[in-house]
Amino acid sequence: MKTIVYTLLGLFISLNALAEQKSEIPSPHKGMVYVPAGEFIMGSDVGDADESPKHTASTGEFFIDEYEVSNTEFKKFDPNHTYRKDRENHPALVTWDQANAYAKSIGKRLPTEKEWEKAARGTDGRLFPWGNTYDLTFVQYNRSQGIAQTIAKPKSPYGCYDMAGGAMEWVQDWYNPYPGNDVPSDKYGKKFKVLKGGQAFNDVSHMRCAHRFYLPKDDRNNYLTGFRCAKDVKR
Amino acid sequence: MKRLNSFIVGLFISLLSLPIFAQTVNEFPNPDDPLHVRVAMYDALMRGNHNNEGVFMQHVIFPPVGVEKPLVGSQEDCLEITGAMMAAYCYRYGVTKKPEHREQCHEILRGLVKMEKVTGVPGVFARSFNKTDKPLWHESQHFFTIEWHESTSMPGYRWEGDLSSDKFVDICYMLSVYYDMAADEEGKKIAAGLIDRFVGRVVDHNFKLVDVDNKMTLWGNFCPDLPHQALNSLEILAALKTAHRMTGKDRYHEAYRMLIEKHHYDDEAIMAKVIWPEMWNVIWDDKLACKSFWQLFGHEKDPSLLNKYTMSLNRHQYSWANSKYERIGEIWFPMVYSVLTGENVVTEKTIEAIKNMQEMERRTRKFPVTQADGSVKMVEAQDENNAAQLIRNYWFGRYYGFIDASW
Repeated sequence: MKTIVYTLLGLFISLNALAEQKSEIPSPHKGMVYVPAGEFIMGSDVGDADESPKHTASTGEFFIDEYEVSNTEFKKFDPNHTYRKDRENHPALVTWDQANAYAKSIGKRLPTEKEWEKAARGTDGRLFPWGNTYDLTFVQYNRSQGIAQTIAKPKSPYGCYDMAGGAMEWVQDWYNPYPGNDVPSDKYGKKFKVLKGGQAFNDVSHMRCAHRFYLPKDDRNNYLTGFRCAKDVKR
Repeated sequence: MKRLNSFIVGLFISLLSLPIFAQTVNEFPNPDDPLHVRVAMYDALMRGNHNNEGVFMQHVIFPPVGVEKPLVGSQEDCLEITGAMMAAYCYRYGVTKKPEHREQCHEILRGLVKMEKVTGVPGVFARSFNKTDKPLWHESQHFFTIEWHESTSMPGYRWEGDLSSDKFVDICYMLSVYYDMAADEEGKKIAAGLIDRFVGRVVDHNFKLVDVDNKMTLWGNFCPDLPHQALNSLEILAALKTAHRMTGKDRYHEAYRMLIEKHHYDDEAIMAKVIWPEMWNVIWDDKLACKSFWQLFGHEKDPSLLNKYTMSLNRHQYSWANSKYERIGEIWFPMVYSVLTGENVVTEKTIEAIKNMQEMERRTRKFPVTQADGSVKMVEAQDENNAAQLIRNYWFGRYYGFIDASW
């Protein structure tokens, strides 16, 4: 009898704590998802040298867009933005400077590299937003596909779509080595901005959450470079 | 006054004809010419207009847009075109046994040597190169600007990097065919050295094509530790088989066995053909598979592995059997299948398609040419695509008896 009472009491406390915690989760802005603060597994030891070492990183809590910013959305900010007539629902392909300006204009910001990677792969170090297996039907591999038009429509652990393939996504950070990485590169420094998520038509390995690409912030060189925005959680 | 008028008319005619006469070869075949005549004329156009120091250009844009010589165009796929021309010339040599035809195979090999030399890194091949000491306008038009480099090993040249798995296959395939069909002792030594450095570097980097910035190229993934497509498994097995055969080095055989025994690349290779969804059932993957099968069949003696490679080939043939031959490359597949399996799948429809092969054309278009001050000016010029696959189909078919010399 004593055991049952303690069990029920424990259960009550746990459920109460969970309920309290749930009530603390702030409501995301429209079109955004909430990512809690905490540690996650970042980087990889089997990809390019710049992805290593696989390490534990942490972020604060933040909101991040569920989808990439579309051509239609970007056009409202920049009336000179052009795109193919049938691609209203495709990611806006822009430079880092343009992406950054857009985000600021609506009170948001670009995610940091850590935030992007955490939003994409969760905390368990998975290769892709949905897990570790791969199929062409999971990703935006074909350029004719718009936002969330994949066959399988997978989402990340926090509810983000299209974080693999489609357009690469700009993040805030300069392209620099991770702590503990001693492989030299003349590309490091305040020269290039990091892009994540891989682009349509490239090898599947580039669509891994840990993959890093780099480009100048003011010239996308014909690469498919889009973005999504993040926002601080105000309490 | 009359003299002045004549001068103006003459000048006008000269200006009008400038883009036309800037090309070396201008004669195109008529559609009703016999097949062998058409092939000879296409070949003259390729040699005259597309040959860039032994490497064949997929696409050329003529002056006034294409600087001082007609060698500028999209260059991402030059190795595919060069590979097709190498195969064409090797099979032609197999048919004719003429020394000048063999020499043309050696000439392409020398071009390939230059494709490695221009990068300055042993085992790293360029996609293409241009003899120029400053960036050309089309570098930013056709591909990613960041991938063009100034050569330090060949001053006065610029080269395009970011080699793909597709071009990896093309290099291995063309060296393999050259080695078997046209190489003399010296040629075999050069070809073996090239493939040793090229495939050796991939093995050394855990089966990745690594570019000069130490990162894997956008398409260069054969790595067992990374997710990769089944077609890439087939491709690396073929390359390792060829490298082992040409160099005699055990490391390639050991790598081949390791990928099969530990990572099951043979099983993955069975699924190289994407049959569904239809949007990914694509001819460029078929071409790569075809070149890979060519390197594996006839050299693999293990019946179990041969069975798996045949299963993969049959999955391709399932799709190829319904071909309407809308693309010239598709005509090659039934001939290859027939040679590899001994089962003749070359139908009347295939023969009809072979006899009607047409490919190359020249058009006048406007190109957005970036000027020295950064502005963009639309300039009218002629451009020309290539006939490499048609010529390859023809000589392959002649060598294996699918095509009659009188057609």
